[in-house]
Amino acid sequence: MKHNYHIPYLLALFFVSIFTTAAQEEEEEEDYSKYDNFELEDDTPVKRYAKPTISGMSPQKFIGISFDAQMPYRYEFSNVLFPESSGTGFDVDEEDPTINEKGTVKSTGGFRFNTNIPIISKSSFVWQSGINFMDTRYDVVEAPISPRTPILLPNGNEARSLGKILNEDGLRNLNWTNTFFFPLNETEFIVFQGQLDLSGNYALDSFQPLSTVKYSAAAVYGRRINDYYRWGIGVSRTYRVGNLNYVPVIMFDWTSKNRKWGTEILFPARAYLRYNISKNSLLLAGFDLEGQSYHIDEYSVNGNSYEIRRGEVRPKLEFQTKISGYIWASVQAGYRMDWSYDADELADSTDFFRGFFGNQEFGMINNLENPLFFNVGLNFVSP
Amino acid sequence: MKNKIFLIAFCLMGYFAFAQEADDIVGVWEPGHGKAKVKIDKIDDKYYGKIVWLKEAKDPETGEPKVDKNNPDESMQNVPLRGYRILKDFVYQGDGVWEEGTIYDPENGTTYSCVINMKDENAMEIRGYVGVKTFGRSDTWRRLTMKKK
Repeated sequence: MKHNYHIPYLLALFFVSIFTTAAQEEEEEEDYSKYDNFELEDDTPVKRYAKPTISGMSPQKFIGISFDAQMPYRYEFSNVLFPESSGTGFDVDEEDPTINEKGTVKSTGGFRFNTNIPIISKSSFVWQSGINFMDTRYDVVEAPISPRTPILLPNGNEARSLGKILNEDGLRNLNWTNTFFFPLNETEFIVFQGQLDLSGNYALDSFQPLSTVKYSAAAVYGRRINDYYRWGIGVSRTYRVGNLNYVPVIMFDWTSKNRKWGTEILFPARAYLRYNISKNSLLLAGFDLEGQSYHIDEYSVNGNSYEIRRGEVRPKLEFQTKISGYIWASVQAGYRMDWSYDADELADSTDFFRGFFGNQEFGMINNLENPLFFNVGLNFVSP
Repeated sequence: MKNKIFLIAFCLMGYFAFAQEADDIVGVWEPGHGKAKVKIDKIDDKYYGKIVWLKEAKDPETGEPKVDKNNPDESMQNVPLRGYRILKDFVYQGDGVWEEGTIYDPENGTTYSCVINMKDENAMEIRGYVGVKTFGRSDTWRRLTMKKK
């Protein structure tokens, strides 16, 4: 009799095991061909959209912090002239300006903080917004306080030399970028990007006049041919070469079928050849074009804005690797090549377009040597 | 006594209505890209979705049925994508919202946190995200039914 208590239990176990086996077999043997005949319940035409990326690309950075450092280099700064206030400046073709200050910058660099947060992210529309901050500190040695002739402002007051200003204040850039991705259909898309920049030798507790805010914009029409290739063309209003400029934009993103090789090109802002070492690390070789117009408060008189047109090309190698989860590290090394460090005096702080053919005089003509640079960063990325 | 019966009946009706709403998600759905069909089932008290159809069923490189080759777990890289469970562990929260689940993207081998919102009886918004819902992306899936012969 004692054993009889086990009979219901064994029967239950038996039926459960039969049921489980049957369920597994049903799942394993499901006839998937029947799903060929499934169609949309709601027959409203479905609009499909191009995805905002292609396979194999480096992960998009949502939040990043990095430290950028340039090795020592020598600089030559011209006299400080005031084309608007005093009517004297350097001709656009000036090749041999009077050098008023020479020195060596022992180190240049600082922290960079970047964000690119999705505000709206749907198949039919993506809006990303980000605040970016870049601090550039200069450690100037040799002659930061002894230019050949004192810096005299149009009102007769003496001012610090540019070397001394850089050494004591550094340069800062605060940026707000909004990017909008509009897929038109499964292949075509439009990207629009707008940026506001506040750049200068300001301190964080004493901003410079908001009339010096610069705006940049870019619009690109593109075609996503397949999961491995897309291209686009467009135009941009940019300060990447220091001066205000209008340039064409070319997008060319491609990944090989084995996902090992690829390109990430948004010319002229950046162009990389990519090698995917594994799913969790990659190597980029190419260049960035960086620049902004930096307001120098001390030289800005009579309601004008005196601005350093800083533009640099950075050929580099970049290694990115996953640390854990969605945290990736990046290490960059390359050359910081001086494109422009000249200065303009902007009447009433209103910018002008010199382009290739303008004849507006420069306030300063400056030259920097090209040192090595390094950049290390941590990023919270999109998978 | 009548009041008690009425209260119990009311609670039961509420429970069944909730359960019925929760099962609204069950069925076959098409993601926005239209390259797959996903069947959502209820298993115990949770909801799961598996790929039951692929527009491109075979890997053009190998000619074989597509497998989960991007899975970070090497032991899973030969598992066929058809039949693969990409939605897991969803729990109905009420008001047409299913949460606490995950969605797997076979294109990059990544699993995301996920929330599903029923927009109407034939469309739902599905959002995969990382950490917080801000860092995510939404897609609209539409209900499929068997063709009428």
